Amino acid sequence: MKRIIATLVVALFAIAMAQGVTIGVLSPLTGGAAGTGQAQKAGFELALAEINAAGGVLGQPLKIIIEDTKADAATGVAAFEKLMTEDGVEFIAGGYSSGVTLALVESFRTFQPIVSWIGGAVSGVGIDGFDGIEELLGAEPWFFHVHPWDYQNTEASTAFMASTGVKSVALLHEDSAFGGPGAIAAAGLLQDAGMSVPLVEAFKSTLTGGTGDFRATIAKAAASGADALFWIGYDSDVVPLTSQIRELKYDPQYIFGAPPGWPSEFDAAPEAQCVTGLIGYLPNLPNAEAKTFLDAYVAMHGRAPDNYMAALAYAQLWSYADAINAAGTTDQDAVIAALQNGTFRSPMGAWSFKPSVIALHQGFGSEMWNVFQFQNGVREIVWPLARATAPLASCQ
Amino acid sequence: MDLSLLPQAIVSGVLASGLYALVSVGLALAIGVIGIVNFAHGEFFMVGAFLAYQLFVSFGFDPLLSLLFVAPALAVIGALIYLSSIRFVLRAPELNQMLLTFGIGIILQNLALLIWGGDPRTIANVPYRSLGFQVAGVSIGAVPLGSFVISLLLVAGLYWMLASTPLGRAMRAVAQNRIGAGLVGLEVDRVYLVAFALSALLAGLGGVMIGVIQSPTPTVGLGFTLKAFAIVVLAGLGNIRGIVGAALTVALAESLVATLVPNGDALRNMVFFAIIFVVLVWRSRRVA
Repeated sequence: MKRIIATLVVALFAIAMAQGVTIGVLSPLTGGAAGTGQAQKAGFELALAEINAAGGVLGQPLKIIIEDTKADAATGVAAFEKLMTEDGVEFIAGGYSSGVTLALVESFRTFQPIVSWIGGAVSGVGIDGFDGIEELLGAEPWFFHVHPWDYQNTEASTAFMASTGVKSVALLHEDSAFGGPGAIAAAGLLQDAGMSVPLVEAFKSTLTGGTGDFRATIAKAAASGADALFWIGYDSDVVPLTSQIRELKYDPQYIFGAPPGWPSEFDAAPEAQCVTGLIGYLPNLPNAEAKTFLDAYVAMHGRAPDNYMAALAYAQLWSYADAINAAGTTDQDAVIAALQNGTFRSPMGAWSFKPSVIALHQGFGSEMWNVFQFQNGVREIVWPLARATAPLASCQ
Repeated sequence: MDLSLLPQAIVSGVLASGLYALVSVGLALAIGVIGIVNFAHGEFFMVGAFLAYQLFVSFGFDPLLSLLFVAPALAVIGALIYLSSIRFVLRAPELNQMLLTFGIGIILQNLALLIWGGDPRTIANVPYRSLGFQVAGVSIGAVPLGSFVISLLLVAGLYWMLASTPLGRAMRAVAQNRIGAGLVGLEVDRVYLVAFALSALLAGLGGVMIGVIQSPTPTVGLGFTLKAFAIVVLAGLGNIRGIVGAALTVALAESLVATLVPNGDALRNMVFFAIIFVVLVWRSRRVA
């Protein structure tokens, strides 16, 4: 009898191993944030092809199931529960939108798979009366956060602003969970760095129901007399915002934006000239992985990545594959330990999960960020100086 | 509250009303003549914006030139959608009509996603997009002014067509009494076809303008659709003549609040729908 049971256990284990590892991915493939979701999907596809070409995970081809969250909270929760109950996955990847992530907190806690989460940067740290994602999930041993937190984004933005020597900054932000807390944190850090912030003003993003008429907000920024303009919004706000700044003859020394991505072909638009922005990945980063990633991405997708979320998704899937292979099993504790202790590849260079203010496992920090400037149709890295490909130029 | 910005707020509001009128008038035409609430109207803007983008990328066409191609293309697309689906639900319950047009909208959005992807696109080289000139300290943008003038001409042309041409009279007759119009020999189905195609054409023209001022994305029409529905309700369902006044009212109110109230831009939609709410309540009390 014992022999039969042992044989059955071995057979079941063999069947389970033969099926290979499946990772469930949550990403906004359609809807207003589809650009980011499609970029993540492209990054996952490239990593998946490379991982399987290199032997897969635990000797079997790795599989991913991508579910569309539409950047909508209710859809995201339903998609996650489908991955848990119907597909039976043990690992979750992807992730975008702080609103969707906050809606998923209780479902994550109910099922407690290993969650490696790219987006959802709203930490809640330093903001009274608001529980952010780092506060709610950061201490969970099964939660790994890849993208820098909002305060790490702001640290980089503020350090760049301080490096320009400007004395005052007008701060415009979109009015949802992405821009609001980020702007509060940014205003505090800018002031701590000795700059005045004469205006902090919310606007309705084109992604959240706005029609792209930012003239009133820009007129207020111009009237504030600030040396520089710092805005936090979405990709689709870039064209109306930058063109209306010129139309209204607003002439700050620097125009600095922090959207998740930049519109395709914007580089060639005259409005782009001198605009600076925060970005995680650029092909001209001075590390070999950046170029290798670019070449492989172009070979697979026929074009260069125009959203750094592709690079983060690529890095995230590789980290899962390397960690599970290092653990030699899909046992949750073993994989958590491997993710905790591993150093992983990425187009931005080597990275690992480290503690942040509250989180046990934070991937990239403020050191990931680069500031680039559109100069004659090219995105030149202007900050940090160690990675700079061109000097920063004033808009005036 | 910085009152020095008041003249700019008024000018910006008046100019914005042109685009609002243009995106609303096609919807009003579909509701007024055909009696169908077209939830895919915003996706017609989106298709117009993407066609202008594609003509720029493939042939280097300026969006103003694209208007000549996009408008007829949208009319054809509108006619095909009417012939293949809309005409079959004209006598169906309103819920069926709404579900159908909602579904058409989702299909168009996903087709755009397949063809152009989800990344916001840019019609990169529009030399007049950032052009503005100062008059008495107030900035007037070339694009808002141009779209205001074009919109007014198109809306005026539509008024004239409805009032003074046999086709316009046929549309008004069908709108007033579909059965009676049929009895006196009007081809009702053909009038509906032309009205729906014209509605799509106007949305296409609005879409080209939206493509200039914004990045075309599969969901670019959503914000404007909300406003178009609200303006149509404010003007009175199907009342094409009331569109310009309604668009001017809401655009001015939005601009004033966005300029004069701290964080006012984020309140734009609230202002917009507060006006609609007040007007509807006022109307219902008047009727009662």
